[in-house]
Amino acid sequence: MLEIRDLSYCYPDAEKPSLTGVSLNAGRGQILGLLGPNGAGKTTLISHLSGILQVQHGAILIDGSPLAVVRRKAPTRIAVAPQEYAFYPMLTVKENLECFAAAGRLGGERKRRRIVECLAFSRLERFVKIRAERLSGGLKRRLNLAIALLPEPELILLDEPTVGVDPQSRAFLLDAVKMIANSGAAVIYTSHYMDEIEAIADRVVILDDGKVLRDGTLDELLRDGVAHMRLAVEGVPVGEMNALLGRFGKVESVGEEWRVTLAHDRTPAELLAAVEKLGGRLKYVEFGRNNLEQLFMALTHRPLRD
Amino acid sequence: MLLALIKKEFLALIRDVHGLAALFLMPAIFIIIMSLALKDVYSPSTKALPYAVENRDSGQLADNFLAEWKKRHGSPQANSASWKDEVRGGKLSYVLVIEKDFSRELAAAHPGSGKQLRLIAEPGLESSAFAANNAELIMIANELRARALLAAARMSQRSSQRPLRSGAPDESVPVSALAMIDTERLSAGSRPTAVQQNVPAWLVFGMFFVVASLANLFIQERQCGALTRLASLGVPTSVMIWSKALPYLAINGLQAALMLAVGVWLMPLLGGDALSLAGIHWGALMLVLLAVSMAAIGLALALASLVRTHAQASALGPIVNILMAAIGGVMVPKFIMPEVMQRLAEFSPMNWGLEGMLAVLLRGSDMTGVLIPAAKLTGFATIMIIIAVVFFRRRAS
Ligand SMILES: Nc1ncnc2c1ncn2[C@@H]1O[C@H](COP(=O)(O)OP(=O)(O)O)[C@@H](O)[C@H]1O
Ligand SMILES: [Mg+2]
Repeated sequence: MLEIRDLSYCYPDAEKPSLTGVSLNAGRGQILGLLGPNGAGKTTLISHLSGILQVQHGAILIDGSPLAVVRRKAPTRIAVAPQEYAFYPMLTVKENLECFAAAGRLGGERKRRRIVECLAFSRLERFVKIRAERLSGGLKRRLNLAIALLPEPELILLDEPTVGVDPQSRAFLLDAVKMIANSGAAVIYTSHYMDEIEAIADRVVILDDGKVLRDGTLDELLRDGVAHMRLAVEGVPVGEMNALLGRFGKVESVGEEWRVTLAHDRTPAELLAAVEKLGGRLKYVEFGRNNLEQLFMALTHRPLRD
Repeated sequence: MLLALIKKEFLALIRDVHGLAALFLMPAIFIIIMSLALKDVYSPSTKALPYAVENRDSGQLADNFLAEWKKRHGSPQANSASWKDEVRGGKLSYVLVIEKDFSRELAAAHPGSGKQLRLIAEPGLESSAFAANNAELIMIANELRARALLAAARMSQRSSQRPLRSGAPDESVPVSALAMIDTERLSAGSRPTAVQQNVPAWLVFGMFFVVASLANLFIQERQCGALTRLASLGVPTSVMIWSKALPYLAINGLQAALMLAVGVWLMPLLGGDALSLAGIHWGALMLVLLAVSMAAIGLALALASLVRTHAQASALGPIVNILMAAIGGVMVPKFIMPEVMQRLAEFSPMNWGLEGMLAVLLRGSDMTGVLIPAAKLTGFATIMIIIAVVFFRRRAS
């Protein structure tokens, strides 16, 4: 339903663009994970969809029509839960919901029903009379989300919704996001936590320095990752071990642990057989595919988190 | 949508205790303190008041009198036929009317009962200035009469070469010119007291305090992202502006009611004079209040759209207010300011509001009497709101 084509954006006073040639698609019922370190341009991208930033170059289409047209006709088809909390701190949870429901042109029975539903969905029923400023970080996030959901948007953008949230609230929020997608909305979820993206995203776009580095399903992205082995061995001198492992790929040693990035034509079974033939006793072995963090490292030679 | 946003504005305002205190308590306290403090000692110099002279007497004493008055009060304004209207409207502070028999009667041993010297003051002339002028008038007239009588006595002494007959006729000659003098303030149904001056002044000042309150809430709303969210929900700029303007219009109305009530009912209980609303034109009062309110709200919206931070708003709001008040005759009445400052005062929107209020409360003006200040205030409000909308849109995009 959402198609972004070759979007570039440069803030008026900035030296370099914050987005360069970004293209991506999001579909109904799917969660698109937008992964990137701080400063990658995630919020800049989201701000286009909430109407804060105008398209400078490229195009944003909703079901084929330009974003500006859709926003003018039905601004509530798209909802954003901004990275920074966006509600009235001096108003209670209920008052905030009422205010934003009315601002989103909800009225009468529908308004009442949506407020009840969103309170239930974000499990804020017990806090309706509490002023927003007195809520904990996790509850504030939930309120921020609940407000975004009020007008039943078709496309919902969540900008780092788990920053500053306790583990329980975080798990709850992730479940909630899955439910939103299951109910048929298109969801874009930005984060710099790869484990969250791994846990909930159907598709992943990796963004760095304003550019899309990878775009695909989680499986696709992790499949083309290289295989790593970690092992510790007794009974083989270090020099011999190094020479042996060197035939299987790139070798690193950290303490007593060996880390091998397997070459394409090598398998873990071959490596283990070779070690045993030399008389080595395996203390432990780990083998796994890349995770997103390693993929990101491989792509940028930088860690995802600062 | 508008109603929900107005409700939000009220809730936010009610929970802002400091803001509320500034809006309601501060002007009330100012009214009470200033009115009590200045009850009797409010004695401005009477020198600079604009006045005119209507001299119907061709005698020498009239000229002497006017020369003396001019020495003390500066030259009179050119007299026009419509001086009565000018006095009523406050353009002239007072007019001295010298009747045609003034010179003769002043020197006569037994003057007739008619008033020969009148001071007709504008309704809003501050009472101590009025009293001071009155006293001065009597004093000068007395002195002139005394001199004239003395001169006459010497003449008759010299011509008759006889000592004055013992006492009798002289004692029957009244020395005082008091009976010949009449001072009046053109009636307006109310009398200027410290309260009558202070209530309008501090009410206008207090109404402009919505500037700080509104601007602060506006900036808070912007900083907490709620404003962006409203914009992204497609709330039109006009609705946002109305949702701020209307609650503050109501707040201003409440302030006005409260301050007038303080003047009418609380001040006499505290031993001050009561504010009198007898015979005022309520429509004109409403018009002035509405215009002041619009100007204050317009200024607040413009300021809130221009500044970036809370700190700027909370510094700039009160500074602008206090400057306007100081210049505009709220803190120091305009009529005691030197000429230059009086000119300057006419640039302060608070002064326009104050002039309008004084016209209604002191001079009993009707709609026509407050049209000019109301129009100035409305024009000011319009310009401010245009600035607010332009900058608001620029911020939003
Ligand atoms: N208002 C702004 N003015 C100028 N540069 C900005 C502004 N907001 C963000 N940037 C820059 O744009 C880049 C992307 O920022 P952002 O979209 O906030 O990244 P993210 O949300 O992924 O952390 C950063 O280099 C940041 O410094
Ligand atoms: Mg961000």
